Amino acid sequence: MEIETDLRPDAAVLRPAGRLTMVTASELRARVDETVAAGHRVVVLDLADTTFMDSSGLGALVGGLRATREVGGDLRIARPGAQIRTVLQLTTMDRVLKPYDTVEDALRAS
Amino acid sequence: MGVETTEDARLAALAQLDMLDTAPEERFDRVVRLAQQLFGVPTVFVSLVDRDRLFYKAKVGLEQDEAERDTSFCRFTIEQPDTFVVEDATADPRFVENPWVVDDPHLRFYAGHPLVAPGGHRVGTFCLMDVQPREFGPQDAVLLRDLASWVEQELVVDDELQRAAQVQAGLLPRTVPDVPGYGIAGACLPARGVGGDFFDWALTDGRLAFTLADVMGKGGGAAIIAATVRAVLRAASRRGSVSDAVATAEESLALDLSGTSMFATAFHAHLDPGTGRVDYVDAGHGLAVVVHADGTTTRLEPGGAPLGFAAALDPDAPPPVRDAAHVLLAPGDLLVTFSDGVLDVLDGTLASVDEVARRLGGASSARDAVDRVLGLARGTSDRPDDLTVVAVHREP
Repeated sequence: MEIETDLRPDAAVLRPAGRLTMVTASELRARVDETVAAGHRVVVLDLADTTFMDSSGLGALVGGLRATREVGGDLRIARPGAQIRTVLQLTTMDRVLKPYDTVEDALRAS
Repeated sequence: MGVETTEDARLAALAQLDMLDTAPEERFDRVVRLAQQLFGVPTVFVSLVDRDRLFYKAKVGLEQDEAERDTSFCRFTIEQPDTFVVEDATADPRFVENPWVVDDPHLRFYAGHPLVAPGGHRVGTFCLMDVQPREFGPQDAVLLRDLASWVEQELVVDDELQRAAQVQAGLLPRTVPDVPGYGIAGACLPARGVGGDFFDWALTDGRLAFTLADVMGKGGGAAIIAATVRAVLRAASRRGSVSDAVATAEESLALDLSGTSMFATAFHAHLDPGTGRVDYVDAGHGLAVVVHADGTTTRLEPGGAPLGFAAALDPDAPPPVRDAAHVLLAPGDLLVTFSDGVLDVLDGTLASVDEVARRLGGASSARDAVDRVLGLARGTSDRPDDLTVVAVHREP
């Protein structure tokens, strides 16, 4: 899975492209871990180009959230499509992983 | 060549398991912990009965790793096929002078079920012990037998994938319980490989408990966690409310899943056939609808996060409190719950839930409802996910 990284002063923005499934979830997990290890405590996942997410993908988001929280940071998601929003709503994960409409909104949130 | 005695054959079967004097394993430890919690006894163990000793493969509430066979209660358990129960050892002439009773730990209660190896030999026992006398009813016996058969499954397989396939094959119910006035049906179409979906149902005291759950991911890990969720919900449902059952499941999952970021979504419900009342806990599942006799539909709202989610996020977090919701099934009403694989064959959004509900309108029976949902996948040859559905129909 292609994951573009955009480093901002106060956060890292990761842009995974394609399907976030069992096959690719571990790649995203590893990338979030690397990003946190490099000293970025706030990670924004820009999901605009993520076309599909299954439960393993959701597991990667939860794992990433945990990794950032352990260092006192946060993981936020921006621009999820309808299918990803549905997964978040059904699992009630949208209560802890609130989807933001834009990357800027996610960066500003606290 | 001498004549092989039954005991020699039994010992050969035991040796074939290759498990004597091996280290503790989580797959056995979790069953033992679960039994301790469900029965509220201090001591639970899995023993392998060797020629003159018991080897404890898994235990809670016991210090030693082995014990003499001659003075053990398990000696009696493996000599017959049923659960062997001593409700009060001080009132049983066979045990009044037994060292386990007379000396430390001053045992009073014992219940053990024999563990049978594939060839039919009783090679070990799954046992509860208490220092208080206890009553042991038919419900308790069923529960102990369920847990013992789980241990038996674990005894015979050591290869992870083999275990996964066997475990998954054993997950689905083979018969449909007879609930007067209701039709019940379910199906699971697995996608490629071993998946994490399952459904289950069981009738206890005239009340139907049913479950549909989806463990994150696929492969051996998912199937084994699925087996745990199923066994725990099944066992815990015999004794308490839906919330209690789900809480117990979550607690034992936390031990298995903490730190792995794995979790399971589940819809777990109890139906009281007399009133049509369905109490349910929805743990991040969100895919259940009631199609009323008049054609209107109600979607049952998701109630909370998936099982294990809190522990995945923070292993030290207390388990979340889950409130049960309820819905009344009037004559002619149909409750259907299905896995997210069903959404994926549509457009994957919430609009798909409405589409499923629309197709269920006018379903004549639970079987018909299940067939209609499975029919959605017809023509999609390469489904990415399992497709699982359970329907409960109250006859008009």
